[in-house]
Amino acid sequence: MSTIAPAAPGAFSAAPSQQGVRSAYATELYKLMAQLTTRILVLVCALGPFAFAAVLKVQSGTPSDALFGFWVHSSGFAISLVILGFAGSWGFPIIAGVLAGDLFSSEDRHGTWKTILTRSCTREDVFAGKLLAVGTFVIGLTLMLAAASLIAGVILVGPHALVNLSGALTSPGRMLALTVVSWLICLLPVLAYTSLAILFSVGTRNGILGVLGPLLVALITQLLDLIGKGVIVHELLIGSAFDGWHGLFTSHRYFGQLIVGSVVSVLWIVACLTASWVIMRRRDFLTGVSGRGPSWTTPVKVVALSTVVVAALAFGCSLGPTGVTASRLSSAVAQDFNNVTLLQQQLIGRRVPPNARFYIRPQCTGHGTNSTSGPGDWTCNVYVFLPQTNSVPYQLQSVEYDVSVQYNGCYKAQSPPAFVGGATMQNAAGRSVANPLFIVYGCFNIF
Amino acid sequence: MKRFGAVTAVDGLDLVIDPGEVRGLLGPNGAGKTTLLRMLFGLIRPDEGTVELLGHRLDHLGGDVLESVGGFVEEPSFYPYLSGRSNLKLLAKLDGRAGPGEIDDALKRVGLAARAEDRVSGYSTGMRQRLGLAAALLRRPRLLLLDEPTSGLDPAGARAVAKLVCELAAEGVAVLLSSHLIGELEKVCDSYTVLREGRVVWDGTAGELEAQAPGSAYALYTSDDARALELAAHAARVRVQRGARGGLALAARQEEMDELVAALGDARVLIRRLELVVSPLETMFFALTAPHDGQELQALEPQEFTDTILART
Repeated sequence: MSTIAPAAPGAFSAAPSQQGVRSAYATELYKLMAQLTTRILVLVCALGPFAFAAVLKVQSGTPSDALFGFWVHSSGFAISLVILGFAGSWGFPIIAGVLAGDLFSSEDRHGTWKTILTRSCTREDVFAGKLLAVGTFVIGLTLMLAAASLIAGVILVGPHALVNLSGALTSPGRMLALTVVSWLICLLPVLAYTSLAILFSVGTRNGILGVLGPLLVALITQLLDLIGKGVIVHELLIGSAFDGWHGLFTSHRYFGQLIVGSVVSVLWIVACLTASWVIMRRRDFLTGVSGRGPSWTTPVKVVALSTVVVAALAFGCSLGPTGVTASRLSSAVAQDFNNVTLLQQQLIGRRVPPNARFYIRPQCTGHGTNSTSGPGDWTCNVYVFLPQTNSVPYQLQSVEYDVSVQYNGCYKAQSPPAFVGGATMQNAAGRSVANPLFIVYGCFNIF
Repeated sequence: MKRFGAVTAVDGLDLVIDPGEVRGLLGPNGAGKTTLLRMLFGLIRPDEGTVELLGHRLDHLGGDVLESVGGFVEEPSFYPYLSGRSNLKLLAKLDGRAGPGEIDDALKRVGLAARAEDRVSGYSTGMRQRLGLAAALLRRPRLLLLDEPTSGLDPAGARAVAKLVCELAAEGVAVLLSSHLIGELEKVCDSYTVLREGRVVWDGTAGELEAQAPGSAYALYTSDDARALELAAHAARVRVQRGARGGLALAARQEEMDELVAALGDARVLIRRLELVVSPLETMFFALTAPHDGQELQALEPQEFTDTILART
């Protein structure tokens, strides 16, 4: 037993602690705000959407590969949703990495663990304070990005109705509500990335790995999305949880991905934070700022472990059922095509009766070996049986779409202008508007 | 007990420090001084047993027990992107107390008030050391644990720290001061604890140490070195030889030196300079921590005695 005691017992009675998580939380907020990287991030989140919207405003091109990207000149909500799509792929991992990836390792770099842990706060207090502070910043920045993207879109493009992911025009009020809900839905996976960054930071004690870790995971997720047909591994990745909002933008809403994504996010949060706390709790703080830091082998071990994990994930991506099938895609494309065709008729001034439907038979075939299932490039021949007034009841017309389908059930369909016209068309008032048949976005339930 | 691999860093230590007492913690490299301080601050866990501080069992996760304890281990570290004052504010916030007035007082007391608004990244090692002391003062400690507090300080800074430690002790603060600089410890410590291989090998007051020390080394410069050499050679238990840079090199205990000085006076040999080259604390430290038997010291010639001890201390 190691003891240090006063000569007269009771001469140094330890006063009851008054500080705790609140003190640690306040100091961590202060430290985060004092850092240049945080301030830059705040500026980017506040002003970035305005810059993005302004650049789009002055050029005719559109980020059409992103969901809703074709519509950025037509509705401000599309701006916000395109930014949400980019953020889900790259923005949120960067925010999580920059804010949380160096949260713990910076104390190692500055040698300040011994400074803060020898005050009146316990390790629990400091750990909880750090989590709450970074959580506050991450949520705050996500909401700031959401608000900035919506305001930028509404101011620079306008709060106009937007074509949803089933090809139907959706009112501005409804689109505003759906957009806000979509951003809120993404908070859980954003916090999952944040927890992962914390684990990197605590586990490696290396700020670079902590900051880049979530970004690398996002990159790996993107690469894995390109391979394998199975949904099981895909849906277990944090990045997939950002697909949850897609189901809100279809005419027949589905929530499977939203629920699975939320559960997966919570599991990541619990697992990463538990592992981080176990490491933090068991740790001996031995080295100072000039002492021997974590071994140089740490990054090597991390890279080796990551390689093994990625290889296992790549193999696992083929496991389980595929969510993308010819029948699901055909059904979605049929509804999409029906709705955008009716919308086009409305735009050119024709009266469209309520609940009007064309008789459409799409036939979708995948390219390469995956002709009946799996993400990738597909060709959909859309056969439209137009009603006739003469003795022949129907006139058959067909349109061929090149469809790029993602594993998450979202697709972008595009047809040559010879079939559907150019990217823009004249509406009944003689104004140039986006041609809804030119690029068609859609999503379907993969469960 | 705390082990690092096969090495036992700390094993079964008990220290009692009175209020107002300044205790020096001594030991060669690897004796367990810093490990002990880290354990007392809850930064590392014992492999076996428990740590008790101020009569309370210390959970290695820190907390309430540290409420009355201030200080630092190794060089103090701060957030380089914040000013000295902001760092103190932040630490005061963590403590859940200390207003701006106390921060100003602490900065003034360590002589950093003029540079308080500068970023710590621009501070010298000595300034960080002083900021570390200011951070410790903010806790209004009853027990102050300091690890090499004068490391990196210029002589004036080291004197200022020694003065501050004495002032705090006068206010009733118990101080445990770990340092390699024995000369610095001698200026402020009332008592000493010497560690070797994680265990206490000597513990007592400065007076007890002086009484038990196996002699000291002196450099003596007189008006007649030849006569002084003759007198010293005949004095009991005084070893003497000519010094490498003139004068005489002597090895003796305090009381034997007293007798020699009196004899020199009687012989009308004037003492021009008498320097303590190796202090009783240094010889004691050597004797307690040398890998071989410290008794060998008694047989060494004065210069060799001095060189041997100084090479280790």
